[in-house]
Amino acid sequence: MIDERELERINGLYICPPDAGPGWREAMASGIDMSLIESALAQTPEQRLDEHQQVLDFALEIQGKLTSDAAR
Amino acid sequence: MPQDDKALLARLRERQAEFVVGGGVACVLSGAPLVTYDLDICIRLTPENLCRIQAAVKDLHPFHRLSSNQLPLELTDQLCGRLKNLFLQTDLGKLDCLGEITGIGGYDKVAARSDVMPLSFGACRVLSLDALIEAKESAGKDKDLGALRFLRAIKDKPKTEGRGRSE
Repeated sequence: MIDERELERINGLYICPPDAGPGWREAMASGIDMSLIESALAQTPEQRLDEHQQVLDFALEIQGKLTSDAAR
Repeated sequence: MPQDDKALLARLRERQAEFVVGGGVACVLSGAPLVTYDLDICIRLTPENLCRIQAAVKDLHPFHRLSSNQLPLELTDQLCGRLKNLFLQTDLGKLDCLGEITGIGGYDKVAARSDVMPLSFGACRVLSLDALIEAKESAGKDKDLGALRFLRAIKDKPKTEGRGRSE
């Protein structure tokens, strides 16, 4: 049986670790998805750079398409 | 126009340029999940180092991207002595070479506040998390507020992982 708290987690409620500092809590309160930071921190710097490159390539590809569509 | 930060960094390292990675790429390397469209590095502003940087990008059609007529990068002794920054566009993307970082200072101060990060093409100096926060706070730009939130959170990160999403 899934209790209400577990259901909230399944639906996306973030449970802040009790040892989180003020900067972490402030970011959480501002609406940042803390799981994104956690997943980045679990990577090596090289992996972070590679993932950034993938996102950047995608963003630039979309920008290029938007620009060429607008020029038509 | 592509932006390949890794390739640019590898070239700079290969030419033994003295530089410290700053700006958005330093934030990414420190763990901030954001996207940045240029590579900011703080450089030692000596003619020798400027020539190393020029050599690193010479086959990438570099030009001064903030000049009015896309002036090609052609360093002379006279120009080297007058430069404070180099804002370049290359075939591998934008490369902004800064003589100093606001809130931190010139190359020596920046290098003293950097960490050495091992990367596949060799180790690179990257502005430390504390220095990144100070630099962004000093700059006081609205565009940096999001990055600052990430950086402060990383500084205060818990030892245990939270669960779920926080949106």
